[in-house]
Amino acid sequence: MDVLLGIRGKDFVLIGTSKAFLHGITVMKATDDKTRALNDHTLLAFSGEAGDTIQFAEFIQANTQLYTMRHSSDLPVAAVAAFVRSELASSLRSRHPYTVNMLIGGYDTKSDTPMLYWLDYLASSTEIPYAAHGYAQYYCMSILDAHYKKGMNVEEVTGLMRDCHEELRRRMPIDFKGLRVKIVDKDGVREVEGFD
Amino acid sequence: MASSYMLPYAQQAPPSYAHPTEASQPRQHHWSPYTENGGVILGIAGKDYVILAGDTRSSEGYNINTRTARKVFSVGSGLILGVVGMSADGEELARKVTRKIDDYKRNHDKHITVSAAAVMLSRILYQKRFFPYYCQPLLGGLDENGVGAIYTYDYVGSFEREQSRAFGSAAALITPFLDNQINLKNQFVPGSNGEQPKQAGDLPRATVEKIVKDAFTSAVERQIEVGDGLQLVTITRAPPRTEEEADDDDWTGAAISVELSPLKKD
Amino acid sequence: MDALVSKYAAEPELDIAEEDDDEVGTGLPQSVSFTLPPIDHPAKFLRAMTDDHANPSAPIKLKHGTTTLAFKFRGGVIVCTDSRATQGSWIASQTVKKVIEINPYLLGTMAGGAADCQYWLTYLGMECRLHQLRHKRLISVAAASKILANLVYSYKGMGLSMGTMLTGVGHGGVFGLYYVDSDGNRVEGNLFCVGSGATFAYGVLDRGYQWELTDEEALELGRRSILAATHRDAYSGGYINLYHIKEDGWVHHGFNDTNPIFWKQKLEKGEFQNVSTTLDA
Repeated sequence: MDVLLGIRGKDFVLIGTSKAFLHGITVMKATDDKTRALNDHTLLAFSGEAGDTIQFAEFIQANTQLYTMRHSSDLPVAAVAAFVRSELASSLRSRHPYTVNMLIGGYDTKSDTPMLYWLDYLASSTEIPYAAHGYAQYYCMSILDAHYKKGMNVEEVTGLMRDCHEELRRRMPIDFKGLRVKIVDKDGVREVEGFD
Repeated sequence: MASSYMLPYAQQAPPSYAHPTEASQPRQHHWSPYTENGGVILGIAGKDYVILAGDTRSSEGYNINTRTARKVFSVGSGLILGVVGMSADGEELARKVTRKIDDYKRNHDKHITVSAAAVMLSRILYQKRFFPYYCQPLLGGLDENGVGAIYTYDYVGSFEREQSRAFGSAAALITPFLDNQINLKNQFVPGSNGEQPKQAGDLPRATVEKIVKDAFTSAVERQIEVGDGLQLVTITRAPPRTEEEADDDDWTGAAISVELSPLKKD
Repeated sequence: MDALVSKYAAEPELDIAEEDDDEVGTGLPQSVSFTLPPIDHPAKFLRAMTDDHANPSAPIKLKHGTTTLAFKFRGGVIVCTDSRATQGSWIASQTVKKVIEINPYLLGTMAGGAADCQYWLTYLGMECRLHQLRHKRLISVAAASKILANLVYSYKGMGLSMGTMLTGVGHGGVFGLYYVDSDGNRVEGNLFCVGSGATFAYGVLDRGYQWELTDEEALELGRRSILAATHRDAYSGGYINLYHIKEDGWVHHGFNDTNPIFWKQKLEKGEFQNVSTTLDA
């Protein structure tokens, strides 16, 4: 039931995740954060099997941070995505695979390009302009197909994210307690308010 | 060296990746390591005594295997253990507890307290969390103040000190009787119009013994897995009477007596 | 990832069980030597033998069923539980202590398997004490809850069953409240209810909850929420166990029979109007 949404703009990526933490039929928390900042310019959003999600995300976070410390420079977004995919692929072939779906939004500071990766628990990975996981796919992909344009600015992409948010609120039978939306650009990761 | 199934998880042989064929694969038929041997045990703690009783029938389905099975064991250091469920697991557990209590005595040069033994038994049960003992144990003993204690367990080691408890195939028959007669549940002071509940107090041993025997004779009437004989084990205080006894390291301060009496055998 | 982990992790001490498979100590060594059935799928076997939802006639019925709650407010944390343990539809006990006193500053609540909660929260108490000895200060609730969450996560899929709230005061008088379960979840929050009666407890608790509650109001709200759950959830009942955690540790506020509390609430406050006092109504 978790919502993961990502849209790549001209020089930034916007990522939205649902704020509800569900357990059975109960919303146990309405301010959940399903993202982890991997380094200054990379954000990982995740959903999937309870326990696996945070364990895997924090493992990835720790290793990218370790890379930053060891090399005094951040692992580029494409390399982060390749690392995550590789770890997920070997996990998939182990006795206890991680069942985690992810979006990675990042800003490559060398080439000044924003990047959005879509990864599923079967270790597929692809760089695409807009991406979603879970039920959000069914409601939001058509909106994005119709209204996404190349080189959109922050206002336009935020507007698109808002359209997706509105549609989910209107049509999804379950209250996901709004979206926690974060922007990743050359200045780093910041939260964008107003998606409750 | 332990047999392979006793090995910890991480030590088990890694799975073979050889191409599986029908013939090379060990066929696993449905594997059922448990059976139910019936019977019932009952423990009651008093202010200076403990009574743990069990019937002596051991059955499997409609067959009676023996009419003289003991379900209550003396496990050393003045403690007793009642087990009901699968008798093989029960006896194995009693054996293990006996050994551990003996180890404790040798290692620490003192008798284990009933509260420490209670934790120990919990750990023994939890060690088999993923392949539980199929038996429910009751541990009885006198505590540091000489007050009777009954510790009750579930299959995997959750435990609680209680006043009275029945386990086994007639537990559902005996428990409500115990609630009413020992804990005086739903009994009220006469003339108080059901407003003032009776307070449960210390019952004399003779009264409790009568209640225990009534519980068993009644259970025998309505439960086919219970009957044949009653093994009634009592722990009472036994302060040393002579100087030799006082100096004796093995003196536990607890006297265990066993009484066997007949129950209906049909 | 396993390759990475094994590269950097210390060699686990696996020879412990070899020395004496009968050894029953406390602490981690024992946790790596649980006996497993000699078959391909131990978890499947355990589920077939113990899971009373999928298989009501399973021979081994573990104790289950509960309502537990905990919430933070201005004056600290309130923890409240019922005391009933059920094995299927049989009430196995009405006097279970579902609040586990880990140390004078930390409490854990029990939902799910009674033995799992008792065992692992006791184990956690040991780890917290070791932390205190090593670092000369109290462990934070965040760190303690993470020890527990990582521990149960390592057994994921093996059949452990626990839903616990870990709460207390840590270093610097900081209150913490975490929900940790055997699925591997670990969430921080201000208010949680766990167990089969949780929805009923949430109803009353959410309605009356404010940060600015006085101590007396907060205790009363916790008590009333559990009462609501014992009334509507057949798997909850017995006694109401109440705790208040303050800056200098927890204080116990009684273990009281629900029955007289219910009648007092009905007759003196006029609540529970659906319950009639006469047979003909």
